[in-house]
Amino acid sequence: MPEAVFVVHLDDYQGFIVEKRYPASFTLNEKVLNLIFYEHEKESKENLRYTEIESFRVASFVDKAHHGWMVCFVLGPEEQLESLRRPILGMGRLILELMIEAPETVRLEHILERQSSLDEIGEEQKYAQVFLTPSSALLLEKMESEGVEKAAKISIWLKGQVQTDSVDLREVIKPLMDSGLVKVEVIGKTTETVFLLRDLFGYRAPPVKAITKAKESVPQLAAKYLEQVTQFFTPPPPSKGYNPTIPSDDPNSPVFEDRERISRVLSKSLRYTVLNCLREEPLTTRQIADKTELPEEVVQNALSTLQSDHVTAEIGEGTWALLTDPVMETFMPEFILPVIAKKLSAKEIGPDIARRHLELLSEAWSGRK
Amino acid sequence: MIRSIYILGPQSNMVYSKEYAKSDSRETLVEFLVNLAHFLGSVDLESKTEYMSFSTARIFYTVRRDFTFIFMADKADDAAQIEERMGQLVTTFVKDFAPLADANLPLDGFDAKVDEIAVTMVKVAILGYAGVGKTTTLHLLRGETLPLVHDPTIGVSIKKLPDEVQNANIVLWDLAGQSRFSILWAKMIANAQVVIIVTDSTLENVLRSKKLVSLVKEEVPEAKVIGIANKQDLPTALTPERVGQILSIPTYELVAIDISYRDRLIQIIRRAILEGKAETKAS
Repeated sequence: MPEAVFVVHLDDYQGFIVEKRYPASFTLNEKVLNLIFYEHEKESKENLRYTEIESFRVASFVDKAHHGWMVCFVLGPEEQLESLRRPILGMGRLILELMIEAPETVRLEHILERQSSLDEIGEEQKYAQVFLTPSSALLLEKMESEGVEKAAKISIWLKGQVQTDSVDLREVIKPLMDSGLVKVEVIGKTTETVFLLRDLFGYRAPPVKAITKAKESVPQLAAKYLEQVTQFFTPPPPSKGYNPTIPSDDPNSPVFEDRERISRVLSKSLRYTVLNCLREEPLTTRQIADKTELPEEVVQNALSTLQSDHVTAEIGEGTWALLTDPVMETFMPEFILPVIAKKLSAKEIGPDIARRHLELLSEAWSGRK
Repeated sequence: MIRSIYILGPQSNMVYSKEYAKSDSRETLVEFLVNLAHFLGSVDLESKTEYMSFSTARIFYTVRRDFTFIFMADKADDAAQIEERMGQLVTTFVKDFAPLADANLPLDGFDAKVDEIAVTMVKVAILGYAGVGKTTTLHLLRGETLPLVHDPTIGVSIKKLPDEVQNANIVLWDLAGQSRFSILWAKMIANAQVVIIVTDSTLENVLRSKKLVSLVKEEVPEAKVIGIANKQDLPTALTPERVGQILSIPTYELVAIDISYRDRLIQIIRRAILEGKAETKAS
């Protein structure tokens, strides 16, 4: 187990601030902080770096989403980073998220003792990023109609849509690439081509699993729970309830708004952890805290925020359950097959591009249900 | 920058005062403020804050309960910002300290609250290639003894200017000049109000430093950029005018190892902060 841990924030005015440290007697100087920070800036692709400075052997963790923050673990003389990589990454993620969301709840010694951790960002969370970046969501829509398109052409289209020349296609397309929705390849000598491989649908599903489990684990609350969920999805007329499949061309429609809302829920790691826990069954705050190893006040805050987003509901005294289950579902974009055929016959794309697209679709979906 | 704060009581008596900038005519000013408070007692400001210009300063005033609150600030300051701070101070005073003032008791803890509200933080970044005298300039500004051995800065060294310079906490960011640290420069100058580009006044270094000017203008376009033609005591030094022409920024002479330059340099920084504010306001 690391000998010490400290959390550093680079404030634009005050410079390096050691926000938390354990043990309290642990001291370090500005030079050490500078060199750890420099290591990360030098090699910005990696979020975990190992540095030997003065008498310290430091493994430091950063996350691009929280610029200027570092969680540093001081390793003992016998400890090797490789054997500790996984727990350090998990603890680093947890400490950083807690420092951003609820710094007063961070107890480094507890986290270190229990090796509490936060999972790496999952697929659902990556998908959520697409809907949280308006230009990326716009690009996905474009790809749904085009299927395959030259990157240069998309770049021109995008500049026209967002009314600025400074928009960078690589940045806009990144959430789509990271989540595997599109692939960019150079076909021929120089033609950079964007292929749509998966389509994405974000919606709220009824929490079927939790409702079923509630009948066993909290039978006295099961009926009330089911009633609350039913009330949300299919309330008695004239209320319409929730139906994300109603087609809407208006970008300001409630369905679009709600899609952004659930994407935001999924993108916040602490809330997502709590939500994930409740997918199984209704639980009390204490039980969630035990399962997730998050501080109880963090769990309570997350539950309240999720409640205001109509994701959780308190179904009994201190017992919480999912009211709706935010889901990001990908599916095979079969509708683009005739588009590819049409583009090929109109010579908008060459046979090499069409063939490659079919190959990529086949690779992406073969073996999947 | 907020120069001074005064709170006058129901009888136009001075309940609290704090002066961040020295004033040669304090007595006259206090007399004026007492008269102002007396006059304000006869009009209804409806809890609004108003201001009037007074030479290079601006006087902000408001009345709450029977207390008159007066802030003196620079003309270049953003009026909305000063009003916001004044609002914070008034709320704090009325909530926690007015009963003490009513009872003629000492306002324990109020001074710290005033500092919290009135003192601003100003970031001044010192940028330049290795060995041009950035850290020496930092020592000069802080009035410190110069080290005998050259110890290159690692990353960034952050120090405050001693309190005597106004109520602004001027934080100096001395950035390492070695080329390996150049990857940090763009990030380290973020949010700087003033960037000082230090050159050693040799033609080669000044020409190289043009890149730094471009970097600063791209990364912090709102910052005030000034050049320093250091090492003017050396025979090979270009004149500050020539350095300024090459860099296309206002440039000032310096011999960082000579303590007599300290006050002048502080004045230059102060002026740059004020000019920067005025330009931001005008744009």
